[in-house]
Amino acid sequence: MVGPSGAGKSTLLGLVNGAVAPTAGAVQVLGVDPAALRGRALRRLRARVGTVHQHLELVGQLRVVHNVNAGRLGSWPAGRAAWSLLRPQGVPEVLEALDRVGLAERVFDRTDRLSGGQRQRVAVARLLVQQPELVLADEPASALDPALADRVLGQLAGLVATGDRAMVASLHDPALALRHCTRVVGLVAGRVVLDAPAAELTVADLATFYGAPR
Amino acid sequence: MTAVLDAPAPARPPLRRVRARWAWGLGTVVVVGWSLAGAGLFSGDVLNPAGRVQFGRFAGAALSPALDPAFLQVLAASVLVTVAYAVLGATLAVLLGALGAVLVARTTWGRRRLGWTLARGLLAVPRGLHEAVWGLLLVNVLGLDPWVGVLAIGLPYGAVTAKVFADLLDEVPRASHDALLAAGAGRVPAVLYGLLPPASGGLLSYSFYRLECAVRSAVVLGLIGAGGLGYQLSLSFSSLRWEQVWSCVYALAALCLLADVGGRAVRRRLAAPHTPGDRLARDRVLTAAVLTTLALVAWSWWYLAITPATLLTDRTRQQLTYVLGAAWPPDTDGDLVRSIGSRAVDTVQMSVIAIAVATAGAVLLAGAAARPAGRTGPGRRLTGALVRIGLLLLRAVPPPVWALVLLFVLLPGVLPGALALGVYTLGVLGRLAAEATEELDPRPRAALAALGAGPAAGWLYGVLPGATGPVLAFALYRWEVAVRDSVLVGLLGAGGLGALLASRVGAFDWAAVTSVLVAMVLLTLAVDLVGARARAALR
Repeated sequence: MVGPSGAGKSTLLGLVNGAVAPTAGAVQVLGVDPAALRGRALRRLRARVGTVHQHLELVGQLRVVHNVNAGRLGSWPAGRAAWSLLRPQGVPEVLEALDRVGLAERVFDRTDRLSGGQRQRVAVARLLVQQPELVLADEPASALDPALADRVLGQLAGLVATGDRAMVASLHDPALALRHCTRVVGLVAGRVVLDAPAAELTVADLATFYGAPR
Repeated sequence: MTAVLDAPAPARPPLRRVRARWAWGLGTVVVVGWSLAGAGLFSGDVLNPAGRVQFGRFAGAALSPALDPAFLQVLAASVLVTVAYAVLGATLAVLLGALGAVLVARTTWGRRRLGWTLARGLLAVPRGLHEAVWGLLLVNVLGLDPWVGVLAIGLPYGAVTAKVFADLLDEVPRASHDALLAAGAGRVPAVLYGLLPPASGGLLSYSFYRLECAVRSAVVLGLIGAGGLGYQLSLSFSSLRWEQVWSCVYALAALCLLADVGGRAVRRRLAAPHTPGDRLARDRVLTAAVLTTLALVAWSWWYLAITPATLLTDRTRQQLTYVLGAAWPPDTDGDLVRSIGSRAVDTVQMSVIAIAVATAGAVLLAGAAARPAGRTGPGRRLTGALVRIGLLLLRAVPPPVWALVLLFVLLPGVLPGALALGVYTLGVLGRLAAEATEELDPRPRAALAALGAGPAAGWLYGVLPGATGPVLAFALYRWEVAVRDSVLVGLLGAGGLGALLASRVGAFDWAAVTSVLVAMVLLTLAVDLVGARARAALR
């Protein structure tokens, strides 16, 4: 998803994960309307959708292992969630996920001791543990240097490539969008103005979206 | 990606617990258990079943406070007295604080550490004694004079204000101040242009906060006889006129709420003043607040009929010379020292139970008392408002009054005093904990909700980790306050060092009074030190 700031990219992602309620019309997420669900059923749907922002969703005061385990809070009962804060549960899976993002040795560090890029990778590890069917990424690379941004998107794309999954990402960098995505949708002022396979587009085609005066 | 998946499982680094924190946690559990045992919770009766009827009558009067015109007139007059004491006391404190800040700021001393440490140590003495203790001492020097109330608030508050003002000045980034000095400005102009402007918001804001606190202290001084709302409350209480007691409590709560809301409004405005950029003008609300305060000072001076002459009469000088002469050297008799020791243990246990009760209650209520960030139903909003009003009532009633109420249902001893302090502190700590919860970054919790976490798990992972640090730090700070307040509860009979002090002052045994006062100051210093260490371990 590409578009100038204020085009409605974050709002669209919010509509999908239920953070924003539609004022008109209806939303279908994985075949269900989240507005029609309450309580446990809504939580079950949310557990199937994973969101990653610019590592702002992590709790700095918790150890990395808990922040990764938070990906399983949708399926864990409250008692197990509480006990895990005292004796970390499911550490092997956490370690495996952290190893895939290259942070296995930091598993028991406090999250606020990590750098911005490392935290971003912890957020990806949380998704790896959550195993969502739909990944929503709201400018996942904007706080990272180009090499790291490429790596993080590669990891997200790798997760989506396993099994029957999909990712919707809003991106600032046209090159990243073309390299890691299969389809590019351009939004301007809340309307779809472009929808094409990434293979048919070039960086120059997308430049207009980032240069648009706003 | 798949290639990485096939790699051998990564080695598991050891889970290291932070040893200092575990030690502090274990120590806390032991100390709380020891305090509860000391209060007699595990040995013998603590409940007083006979008092249930009287308590029922007291509670029943809550809905029918006394509203007859004669009593309301008396009530209005005592409110005015309380306000006048608070205003004059706070003004004196701010004046003393401004002078004292110069004496204890690092800016003044520079690298001369010894002088700075001595000046700071000197401030600890007036700070370590509760306002009520000052009142008790001053009444023996000045007699029954309005100065007693004003000085009893002004002296200890002045010492605290001096410390805070100095810290505010020292925390300002030094670059602009040093640049002025380097450009050849004198020391005073450099401070006026480089340090005061960035610190002025904090200084004013803290002054208004002190005014709020002074209202509460003026009530407490009334309880020990200085007149005003507190005096009226204790009169009504001792004559068992429960309807009047509740009228006083409601008046008190309204006064505290007014001070609270007014102070917060001024402080919020100070953080973001409304001034036009194109011409020289001041923020109207702030100007009005400052002018109103000045008018209140003049009115209070007139209303309490205070004259500086009282402080300079021959009688005052003779009395002061006599008391000081009799008070030195302090009494170091073995019996007295032993008694001070055991009373100090009582005081510590009382404060520990109080903080344990208040912290537990604050953690339980913080979620309900915090204003939720998003949309919520009317039920949630109503619960929140009720909890907040309840907390306000808890902190509006001074701890000694809570002790008297609890004595209906509990047998006399350390426990009612401790619970009274605990209930009052819960009122303060509950609000602080709710504010700490409100100030947390909402995004982690929103992210947890978005991935399907339930309310309990969301609270455990999204709120608890962030709120624990600030709430425990507040609890430790309030513990230092509670040690001082437990002296006050003791003054009115709940045991501990306060009771000992009251009996020694009553017997005009000034040498023993000095010993007790020294013990109080040392105890406060020790608690400050332990609290500071514990806070450092939390960070």
